[in-house]
Amino acid sequence: MKQLMAAILLSTFLFPNNQIPAAPQKHPILLKNGFIHTVSNGVVNGSILFDKGKITHIGEFISPPDGAEVIDLDGKHVYPGFIAAVSRMGLVEISAVDVTNDHSERGDFNPNVRANVAYNPDSEIIPTTRSNGVLIANIVPASGLVSGQASIMMMDGWTWENATFAHPSGLHINWPQMGIRAGGRRFSMSAEKQNERRQKALEKLDEIMKQSHAYARLRQTNTRTAEDYHKEDLRLESMIPYVQGNLPIYIHANEVRQIEAAVHWANRHDVKIVLVGGKDAWRTIDLLKKNKIPVIYEGVTALPSRRYEDYDQAYKGAALLYEAGIQFCIASSSGDASRVRNLPNHAAMAAAYGLPKDEALRSITLSAAEILGIDPQVGSLESGKDATLFIANGDPLEIRTNVLQAYIQGRKIDMGDRHKMLYHKYQEKYRQLGILKE
Amino acid sequence: MKKLTIIFLWIFSLISAQVGPAKELHRNPPRAWALTNATIHASPGKTIVNGTVVMRNGMITSVGSDVKIPKQATIRDMEGKHIYAGFIESWLDVNTIKKDTSLQAHWNSNMRAYLKAADLFHPKDKELRDLRALGFTTAHITPKGGIFQGQSALVQLGKTPKVLSENIAQVIEFASSGWGSREYPTSLLGVIAFIRQGFYDATWYEKTGNILAKYPDGNEPIQKDRSLEALSSGKGKKQPFVFRTNNELYIDRSENIADEFDLTFWIRGNGYEYRRIDQMPASFMIVPLNFPGKPEVADPYQALQYTTEQLKHWDMAPDNVAKLVAAGFQVALTGSDLKNKKDFQKNLSRSINRGLNESDALAALTTNPAREFGQSKRLGKVAPGYIANLVIADNNYFSGESTVNAVWIDGNEYEIEPDPFVSIAGTWSLKERNNVWSLVLNKSAKGFSGEIKTENKSIKLNHVKVEQDRIAFSVKADTLLQKGVTRFQGTFTEKKAMGQSFYADGTSDNWSAVLETKKTPKKKKQKKEDPSNLDLVFPEGAYGLDEDVPNPKTILINDATVWTSGPKGILKEYDILIQDGKIKKIARNITLPRGNALVIDGAGKHVTPGLIDAHSHMAGESINEGFQNVTAEVRMRDVIDPNDVALYRGLAGGLTTINLLHGSANPIGGQNVVMKIRWGSFSDELIFKEAPQGIKFALGENVKRERPYGRYPESRMGVEQVIRDAFSSASDYKQSMDTHNKDVRLQRSAIPPRRDLELDALVEIMEGKRLVHSHSYRQDEILMLTRIAEDFGFTIGTFQHVLEGYKVAERLAEHGAGASTFSDWWAYKYEVVDAIPYNGTLMTNAGVTVSFNSDSDELARRMNLEAAKAVKYGGLDEAEALKLVTINPAKQLRIDKHVGSLEIGKDADFVIWSGHPLSTYSVCEQTWLDGKQYFSLEQDQYYRQRDAKVRNSIIQKILASPEDGEKAMRPKGRRGNRFDSCDALEAYLMEGEE
Repeated sequence: MKQLMAAILLSTFLFPNNQIPAAPQKHPILLKNGFIHTVSNGVVNGSILFDKGKITHIGEFISPPDGAEVIDLDGKHVYPGFIAAVSRMGLVEISAVDVTNDHSERGDFNPNVRANVAYNPDSEIIPTTRSNGVLIANIVPASGLVSGQASIMMMDGWTWENATFAHPSGLHINWPQMGIRAGGRRFSMSAEKQNERRQKALEKLDEIMKQSHAYARLRQTNTRTAEDYHKEDLRLESMIPYVQGNLPIYIHANEVRQIEAAVHWANRHDVKIVLVGGKDAWRTIDLLKKNKIPVIYEGVTALPSRRYEDYDQAYKGAALLYEAGIQFCIASSSGDASRVRNLPNHAAMAAAYGLPKDEALRSITLSAAEILGIDPQVGSLESGKDATLFIANGDPLEIRTNVLQAYIQGRKIDMGDRHKMLYHKYQEKYRQLGILKE
Repeated sequence: MKKLTIIFLWIFSLISAQVGPAKELHRNPPRAWALTNATIHASPGKTIVNGTVVMRNGMITSVGSDVKIPKQATIRDMEGKHIYAGFIESWLDVNTIKKDTSLQAHWNSNMRAYLKAADLFHPKDKELRDLRALGFTTAHITPKGGIFQGQSALVQLGKTPKVLSENIAQVIEFASSGWGSREYPTSLLGVIAFIRQGFYDATWYEKTGNILAKYPDGNEPIQKDRSLEALSSGKGKKQPFVFRTNNELYIDRSENIADEFDLTFWIRGNGYEYRRIDQMPASFMIVPLNFPGKPEVADPYQALQYTTEQLKHWDMAPDNVAKLVAAGFQVALTGSDLKNKKDFQKNLSRSINRGLNESDALAALTTNPAREFGQSKRLGKVAPGYIANLVIADNNYFSGESTVNAVWIDGNEYEIEPDPFVSIAGTWSLKERNNVWSLVLNKSAKGFSGEIKTENKSIKLNHVKVEQDRIAFSVKADTLLQKGVTRFQGTFTEKKAMGQSFYADGTSDNWSAVLETKKTPKKKKQKKEDPSNLDLVFPEGAYGLDEDVPNPKTILINDATVWTSGPKGILKEYDILIQDGKIKKIARNITLPRGNALVIDGAGKHVTPGLIDAHSHMAGESINEGFQNVTAEVRMRDVIDPNDVALYRGLAGGLTTINLLHGSANPIGGQNVVMKIRWGSFSDELIFKEAPQGIKFALGENVKRERPYGRYPESRMGVEQVIRDAFSSASDYKQSMDTHNKDVRLQRSAIPPRRDLELDALVEIMEGKRLVHSHSYRQDEILMLTRIAEDFGFTIGTFQHVLEGYKVAERLAEHGAGASTFSDWWAYKYEVVDAIPYNGTLMTNAGVTVSFNSDSDELARRMNLEAAKAVKYGGLDEAEALKLVTINPAKQLRIDKHVGSLEIGKDADFVIWSGHPLSTYSVCEQTWLDGKQYFSLEQDQYYRQRDAKVRNSIIQKILASPEDGEKAMRPKGRRGNRFDSCDALEAYLMEGEE
């Protein structure tokens, strides 16, 4: 069996292909003799069994059911797939090439646009990302004030419909700039003008909510009198679940005044919000706690927001939220696609600067799932949950560790990617030249 | 009256004009005046009480307490007045022309040294009046526009300004036209190169001119250039060159240029001089008297937007002049940067509150500029033989409570705010019908106000109108007078007043008053402000050093895991002995030498060499000079910003050495500078002196991208040709230089080849004295450049980024170029579509010296983790992986003799880590350079607490200070970099920062 395992692992290295999406799990799979990092329930030194895409058993010893494929982990580690809580995976291929960008629609108010319809399942970025254990990503529209609705995607599938895990996951709003930007040749707007612009944006946000409420009320009336008749408005229509509080609104805000204003706005309009960014969240602990606002903490490795701030302000920001008892998870950056594969580094950096290691792992698995509302299915290794997990040769928050094999809903993922392909191609060049001996 | 004055003045100006026919009859009233009974501030420190000044025909003839007044003189009693020598406004910009379109123009419109401010001065009457209202009688006028801006002049500020000297100084500004402009230079980098080339050209032009004059035959005539002519002649005559500066860094840059070309130079200051007062050149300083607006800190969140440096500047800037004077600088003042000119007097009195001596202040307005402008025998003093320029004030000018009544210029009087016939301010005893009340009249800048007082009541006067000796006002006082409003009118003499009162019912009566006292109850005086009690740190603001970094002679690190990055590999439980900044010994159980040694317990810790980043833009105030496709003449060393907090943050991640590179806007960019992050040192001391010179090249998308102003090349084909062309012209240049330098006859009689800074740098490349660091991505362009280099006989130092290096690794190895790459960046632009994180490993295995770089202030803080990626992708050995950010970049920069590994004799640049240096969980605890600790977690805690305290105390001070209604200080914004490094930022945005 060890040989089988080795063969499986090697095969993905030696013969990369064009990453064919995996077929549904056909037989039970038992991963035995390893460390099962459940996240929700400690580390089990033993086995994990999954079938038909779901985890069926975790224990020290599990006897393989009939027809099971048994893989000896030989002391390796199993983790739930990492979750990128905000990203642009599949919405961009090469950021500087404009035509490959599909994350930003024209205009300020786009609550109706849906991320998943623009998701390119054949993006070269996706396989390189899952090679590092990121198996689920919330993909987020980006432009204007109200950017659109995000979708949670599995990092494997023939079509965007195959790959969609949940939609919509929420509405995304970029909170207006609240501070005064420094002057300069590039940005010469006066302080007064900036204040005016901010006021307008804030008024607009309130106006949107009022209109949406009115539209929602109109849509709920059962009578169809002439007075109640209305034409459909795609934008306002899409706002209904959010103004009614059925789905969360994700507010992108980093600066303290943005956070403060967003929370009060949410209270004023009685909507559920999740804070995305949260660089200054540590400055508004009480407000966030009192209002039970979850935080998707973006960019642990970012520079401090202000010249005089602690050099490790962003590194330790997650730990500060944790110590304060605020619900949070860690993300790289909502603008990231090609760098989402470094998501575990962000969690590890938070661990280096004060976040307990277990919490760091949780912050990109179960904590992310909880905030996105997908924790019943993913985020930890538990019976009944999706078998979305990976095998690693060590602690995956350590950069030096490699992910050897991933499964998404029990489907065995092709671990090849463009980078491995080119790597092998050019190893061959140097073999031909006699420079590489192996 | 005003009209009358103007007519008078007009007559005076006619009289003093000496040339030209009389328009009607000649007017020859005696131009002689005696101002008597005044307090005369004859010169700084010399005051005459009850003195007299006599002026005749525009000159002062006698001054003293006992002088003979000539018969024809008109006598003015100046009792209570203060007389000063006319003030000199030491800086006044005049608008310049757009472009020299003559046949004698320089090729670049930024060179306009031939211009004379005296020819460009067309002041409006109001400008002159505003200046005179502050007491200015003379101004140093300066042309504004371009880089070499032309010659300044000294003018009298009378109705028809009179030029006293038309060639005071040559004015230079570090003025770039900005990114996207259509003329070189577009950045600070280019500006400095342009200034240097300008001086070389001026020397060449002069030499050429001499040779042409001597040997007119057989030499091809050259294009006449009147700016170069003006420059060389000014330089020859030791005319001062005055540099406009934005902050203390620019003063340093000015000094460097002045030193290089042996210039007499002045500094047009900026208000930040106090920050580096000890290191400033002892040149004449013209300092602006404007202070920063108040930060808006009442909203605690808004307050967060201000950097600590900004807050401190608010508190410390008003000390600037006092500190400069105390340090012995020759200072002159200017109000030219003030938005509201009236703030001049206020700011001057604030400076005096902050410790500036009144006589020094007077000197800064009179004798100092007079001397520097070469007029010490006729300007700046109230003394016989001096031009009759005077300031008449009703009080001590420097008290902050004086009004300038008049100025005299060339012996002509210009009234500003003359005293009325009668001064009515004071307390009067008013008799109205049977009532006797107190009438209090106050005068302020806004005009008159007053009140009527009874024993227990005080009623405000309304509609107070005063004209000379006449007053009118109304009182609404039902109980005192009659129902309704009572109106008063009347006329004052020195001690009495009388007039009529008109009541609401239409009746009227007489009133009278007698003076009780001239004094009026004083309003609360503004509290005198004290000098700032803050300490300077360097760099100013958060994390600045308040004292030099301690320099222990001997350091012993015990029992650490030592990653040598040398042949000895990783040594467990080893000791390191450091002496005088160098590594002395690495062994087990080193015994302590005699004497004091600093002992560091390294148990459980890992020690690595200081990390080196072969591609950085931190501390670069300007990054790209992108207008031309070749800008080999620009130098990063000219634009170092030692205040950049990125340096400190780098240290906190174990970074000790960086290669500050020019950007990637052009095929041949500027010269790089290798720096050691000696945080708290000034630009010069940051430079890694032993590092060889280098230069940035760039290939691919960034350089071929279409520019709005149109620039060759726009394809990779063109890029190759531009570089070939540059080297072939450098070869020609070298050839002609060599020929000329070898032949004495040629040197005597032939026009010398023009020294060209751009070609100099290219020649140095060909001679192997200057390393090329070439931004590159695709294999084709990498190959291409190695071929060009070999054709011209040199080796490329490093390919930077070189993301397809793995495709031609054997070629890189064969050529001998290093590869400085990103660990795992890709997909951000089309040319990196094939970038792979295995690049480093593949190249290393093919025998290329590989380093990982950051090209980012953020990534630069965790280069050790970048190195760890080489373990992950391709399985490089851990010790080898660390070398990607230690000895390998050191080799690439040719500094491996000094740094990059922990070996005997090398610089003691090292990092102490809490654990395995390639582990994401490890933290940098201490960073040392040259055996000195530049970062430690402990020291960092100290800074945090110190800076928090400083911020808090300034905020309290701001909140406690009176509201002045002035424009608030604009916060520095998110990054809080002190400079709007728009060139850099924009260049990043437009060019990609790679």
